[in-house]
Amino acid sequence: MRTRFSDRRKYFLFLMAAPAVLYVAAVGLWPLAQGIGYSFYKYNLLRPARTQFVGFQNYVDIFTDPATRRAILNTFQFTLFSVALQLVLGFCLAMLLWRDSRFNRIVLAFLLIPATITPLVVGLIFKAMLGADYGIIGFFLAEAGIGPRTGLLTDANTALWVLILIDCWEWTPLMTLILLAGLKALPADVLEAGRVDGATGWQRFHMLILPLMLPSVFLALTLRTMDAFRVFDSVFVTTGGGPNDSTNTLMMLGVKEGLQFFNVGFASAVGNVTLLFIALIATVLLLVVRRADVRINGK
Amino acid sequence: MTKAFSSFMPRSAAYSTATVIFALMASTACVSAKSLDGVTLTVASMNDGFSKVLTELAPAFKAETGADLKVEIMDYGTLLTKTTADFIGDTKGYDLVTMDIVWAGAYAENKYSVDLTDWVKRDAAELDLDDIYPVVRKSLGEYNGHYVAYPFAAYANVLAYRKDVLDAAGLKVPTTMEELVADAKKLNDPAKKLYGFVANGQKGPAVAQDWMQYNNQLGGSIVDKDGKPVLNSAANIKSLAVYKELFTEAAPPGAIEYDWGGREESFRQGMAVFMQTWSVGAPVYSDPKVSNIVGKVGIAVAPVAKGMSPQYGVGGWGLAINADIDKPKQEAAWTFIKWVTSKKIHKEFNMMGAGGFMRKSQMTDPDLLAKYDFLPVIAETYEHGNGEFRPRIPEYPEIQDLLGTAVNSVLAGAATPEEALGKAQDAAKKLF
Repeated sequence: MRTRFSDRRKYFLFLMAAPAVLYVAAVGLWPLAQGIGYSFYKYNLLRPARTQFVGFQNYVDIFTDPATRRAILNTFQFTLFSVALQLVLGFCLAMLLWRDSRFNRIVLAFLLIPATITPLVVGLIFKAMLGADYGIIGFFLAEAGIGPRTGLLTDANTALWVLILIDCWEWTPLMTLILLAGLKALPADVLEAGRVDGATGWQRFHMLILPLMLPSVFLALTLRTMDAFRVFDSVFVTTGGGPNDSTNTLMMLGVKEGLQFFNVGFASAVGNVTLLFIALIATVLLLVVRRADVRINGK
Repeated sequence: MTKAFSSFMPRSAAYSTATVIFALMASTACVSAKSLDGVTLTVASMNDGFSKVLTELAPAFKAETGADLKVEIMDYGTLLTKTTADFIGDTKGYDLVTMDIVWAGAYAENKYSVDLTDWVKRDAAELDLDDIYPVVRKSLGEYNGHYVAYPFAAYANVLAYRKDVLDAAGLKVPTTMEELVADAKKLNDPAKKLYGFVANGQKGPAVAQDWMQYNNQLGGSIVDKDGKPVLNSAANIKSLAVYKELFTEAAPPGAIEYDWGGREESFRQGMAVFMQTWSVGAPVYSDPKVSNIVGKVGIAVAPVAKGMSPQYGVGGWGLAINADIDKPKQEAAWTFIKWVTSKKIHKEFNMMGAGGFMRKSQMTDPDLLAKYDFLPVIAETYEHGNGEFRPRIPEYPEIQDLLGTAVNSVLAGAATPEEALGKAQDAAKKLF
């Protein structure tokens, strides 16, 4: 019996999509499912004989253990403040670089240098510079009596803020680049109409530029939030999560439990919680931006 | 384990190394039966003083046995991760593994390595066991009466001090912890950028391992007689208070961030008067390329609390054979272990800068003594050595991490010793 053309087309499309589906299943869904499965066990690769099903205990531990709770709070604090600062600074820089000129293009090229350095190296550089004994910044700060005698990264009150500033130093240029691309794509006629109608600079900014920039802001915020929430490299090499647990983050916790202690069960639970938080934040961002879009643009 | 050692080989040393290798090859060339022809042994080796020497000895081993020796050198964390993955995955990637003594519990519990007990008994005469210090035999190889590894490179925890500074102040080398604390404070002179004491302060293994050393010398202990954690015992709390006192009143301001590398660097730069360290790093203080204190350093046994019987820290590495590899390969790996730890080769191993002395005969060997004048200190350390001050139990990595956070938080002023160790103890109890 001959198959109909529409059926053959269906099979063809299915076959074309199959490699991609298989790939996603193999490298995305299967490990995710495994991770969810492991998270219900007390399972340590170094002590496999002691493996036991513990239900949601790993998740309960995450939210009841003070050190883990601290890691969650640190992660949120780090993400919130670093992304907010980067958004404000990035927007300001993007506005300054908006006008197309040779000078601005050169400045932009130099501005992007920090974003090209791997975060691990950035962490090592700042650690070296902030050290109280040899650091080019830390030594003089200590001599001048500014900040803690042992260095800014060694004080529980300052360490996380220093890490936030390091993150801003590195990633504000990326934020600037995304927002600048958004600014360059704004419809010139709309902005020109505003100017012709006599709108002031501030009115043009908050009534025209900002609403039109919402998709770019959403993109920049989502990308940076997801990235900041997974911060690991710079923390690992600068403070190792210390002093005390003042700079411990969820990824630090997950990597330590999984790759240092081989505590697969708990590390999987930490990974799943991190994933859920990121999904939640992305959803909230999407809703907020959409609501703002509706309110401002009426669509 | 210490990571501070780096080898810088001057030209003369390179010549002598080449001569030693040539001599070893020549002396073994007459052996016609090369029982291990075609065999390749892969060693997962910690990047330490001995690792480069192992690669340099490979041609001599091949000349004698026919076997190729491939040495894969890696840092501590990578070594632990890669070898554990190899054991768990049964992938047989490594035939031999350098095993830190604190991994012995995990090796034993999971049967990662070949139980060498019967082979040790069988080859006892050849191994010349009596020539190896009992503490080294016990802590670098044995676990619960079984050899999970064989002693390979032992280190003594010693006190390195600035002879010139002590002489100028008219002070003797401290023999008790009380004297060390008093002298460190007395000699501390931040205006001249000279500090009385330096130790690891960085959160994690660095501060945990250094504090456990001082804790041992002050009479503290991490586990009780039954092997259960007693992190917040009165002795431990007291010793942590002393450690904090040393950091606050006598250490460089940035010492709270130091790991092994930072600590050694500050001592080599002449910033500190006293530092406890693993003996493997001692030769570097005489190397003008990296040291500002050449000829000004003395090595002594580590001080202990007044009235306490001497007990000094012993650490180092054993060689373990992967239990997953097939029997003939296991035998070949055992042949290598016997060869490299034999009196003759192990002496050359140390002459070439491995820094892992473990035989009694090495302490009185004229050649070694001429090169390493601190050998009597190592001998004394081993005579009263304690390889258990870092508990060699399967839960050690987690306990070390808990202590790494607790001690660092005390040094940072974020908690008192009682609070920090109490919190660590609560978490440690859950591991058992």
